[in-house]
Amino acid sequence: MKKFWVFFFMLVPVLALWSCIVAPGYGWWFPGSDGPSKGVAASPLGRRIDDLFYMILVITTITFIGVQLALGYVLWTGIRRDNREGDVEKAWFSHGSHELEVIWSIVPAAVLLFIALYQMDVWASYRVKTHFPEEVQNKPMAEVTARQFEWRIRYPGLDENGNVLPLMPDPQPTDLYAVNDLHLPSGRPVMINLKTQDVQHSFFLPELRVKQDAVPGLVIPVWFEADKSGEYTLLCAELCGWGHYKMKARFVARPEEEFIPYLRELTKQQSYDGVKEAAAQ
Amino acid sequence: MKKSEFSIGTRSTGTARGRAFPGALTAGLLAMVALTSGCVRHDAEFSHREEYNELIPEGQEYVHKVLGTYFGKPTRIVAWEKLPLKLHAAVGTVGEGATSLSVPVNFTQENLPLRPELEAAWLSGNLFQKNDTPALIEAIGENGSVMFPDPGLAQLPAAGDRVAIGPGEVLKFGRVLYAEHCLHCHGVSGDSHGPTAPYLNPKPRDFRRGIFKFTTTVAASRASRTDLSRTIDEGIPGTYMPSFKLLTPDENMALVEYVLWLAMRGEVEYQLTGQLKNDYSNEAFADRVKGGESAAEIRKELTDAVNGGEMADTFNGIVDTAVERWVAAQEEASLVTPTVKHLEATAESIARGRALYLSKDLNCVACHGEAGLGDGPQTYSITKNSAGADNPTPGLYDDWGNLVVPRNLTTGIYRGGRRPIDLFSRLHGGIKGTPMPAFGGKKSDEELWDLVNYIMSVPYEKRTPGDGSKEAKPAEAPPQVAAGG
Ligand SMILES: [Cu+2]
Repeated sequence: MKKFWVFFFMLVPVLALWSCIVAPGYGWWFPGSDGPSKGVAASPLGRRIDDLFYMILVITTITFIGVQLALGYVLWTGIRRDNREGDVEKAWFSHGSHELEVIWSIVPAAVLLFIALYQMDVWASYRVKTHFPEEVQNKPMAEVTARQFEWRIRYPGLDENGNVLPLMPDPQPTDLYAVNDLHLPSGRPVMINLKTQDVQHSFFLPELRVKQDAVPGLVIPVWFEADKSGEYTLLCAELCGWGHYKMKARFVARPEEEFIPYLRELTKQQSYDGVKEAAAQ
Repeated sequence: MKKSEFSIGTRSTGTARGRAFPGALTAGLLAMVALTSGCVRHDAEFSHREEYNELIPEGQEYVHKVLGTYFGKPTRIVAWEKLPLKLHAAVGTVGEGATSLSVPVNFTQENLPLRPELEAAWLSGNLFQKNDTPALIEAIGENGSVMFPDPGLAQLPAAGDRVAIGPGEVLKFGRVLYAEHCLHCHGVSGDSHGPTAPYLNPKPRDFRRGIFKFTTTVAASRASRTDLSRTIDEGIPGTYMPSFKLLTPDENMALVEYVLWLAMRGEVEYQLTGQLKNDYSNEAFADRVKGGESAAEIRKELTDAVNGGEMADTFNGIVDTAVERWVAAQEEASLVTPTVKHLEATAESIARGRALYLSKDLNCVACHGEAGLGDGPQTYSITKNSAGADNPTPGLYDDWGNLVVPRNLTTGIYRGGRRPIDLFSRLHGGIKGTPMPAFGGKKSDEELWDLVNYIMSVPYEKRTPGDGSKEAKPAEAPPQVAAGG
């Protein structure tokens, strides 16, 4: 019976490892591109963030298995001692091994320090403005304003020659508006200005591994890059009220050359004056 | 009256019987959970208007019964053919050459994708209202014919008979979506008494008057389907109505039909209680008794009117009017269609618009204020309601009895959309149910475009502190003093 409990406790790491291995097959993994490479981030920076995650996963897995093996060893030797006939040795408690305390303080500290230094580069290119890619430096392509419970988008319009104007901090007469439907070029870094009208929301593109809080009173630049053209999910990742779950929109990434036609189409829709073409002539 | 109805909702079928035991178990568990948590499941009911409660019991009973018969309950909707709605998954007429296994149908309406197991219901002909053994379709043939599984139909429909596939499916679909997305604000009955409604300002729309604020139809018209569908799609900026852009076109359509259905139900109740109120409200009843009539006689008068068919005529009249108005609103003639294209927003056009804005004739200033801040004198005056009585507190009121604030035009937020046609429609047809009047017909289309151009320019106006109407002048140079020695 005592052996049963040893095997029972050792089942935990086995089950944990097994569920980790089969999870991607069931789609219980990161959102991302499907097909054979399921669960892969749809952006270069996203993949670097995934790599960081996997590195931490490897470190914690090694630690977890080591701890479990140690637990198994302790339980097993306990049984063996117990089974020895005439053995009167009882359990004993120790406290205050200086060496041990130093070892298990220094080793995790070193690991954490390593992780902290190792991830700095990714963090900087994600959040530090001066490390943003050259293409997006101070060139926001749209202003995304979160509000209960939708995403309102403002694009700079087109000038007379059909070129995209720069996005101004304040609304301009040429601006174009959309809601819950963010269109930006794919295959290159793009930047948006994130705002909120009411409470705190969070701009979340799960497939691209982008998550940024929108804070009242602040304009926060967020950059991302969708490798492939397609439709991605845009969610609010902050519990912002009873309708929070409805704050779902789409991010449509299309090739660069389709962005201006999109704005042109938006201009056309937005200047619709209800006059039938035949009646106007 | 020609009436064919289909009750939809929960229906016990053979398959359900097989699961009776786990069903009972689940129900028992649910009941236990409900009892322990202090809430009991009620059968969902539509609420009645406040005016309903002012009627004498006989009047209430009549209204309750007639609405129950023709509209049903939230969980058991009656798909009433008379209403101008897309009720069924598809509707068509039977073509030539029907066999018991295959009936050719020329579809006139295809609202939802057809799938096997949908019911075929005959809306006319010799099979009309013989729905005791509903015919479930097996498939839709390539040429549009409806296939039935063996042994097929006992009786053949004649060519020209109308048939509905999936009776009431659109409302059923709409009801589920409404419960998911709309109910918590707009309420089960569309009465704007959903659980979150008390926290919202402006209040969610009460559909039961059939009035919707932001439409592209003329002043006298109800809203068009496109208006409602656009509101669901785009939301209403500046209010709590969010955009539901990710709904599929089918879902959007089903929601529009369900909202229209709630609006029609509410409108019929509104008119009916209004009619009964004259003679059979508690107040009228008391007055009449005081006037010498006997209480029993008044009650008998109402029951006689109900049983003698007199009330049926009233009811039919109300329904006919409602139906006509909704049908007319969907026609192209009801759309606001400018005769001239949107004028270019030149300085002259904007100046003309500003002059119109200030004119005594349109008097936009009375509500929106001289600078367009929505602070005109009407916002702090005692105004009159549609019946001509004074409103309870200063300010402007809408038809639902809510205090409304005229739009602040400097914010650049346009609730009904920011396309030129949206602003033009607001000026042409007014904002329905609110004090915003309709200028269509009163002013030419060119003048309305000037006004649109002015309104759209307000958020970008350059303002100088102090004097709002004059340009700021640079300060005069300070007096020079010769430098002393
Ligand atoms: Cu949110």
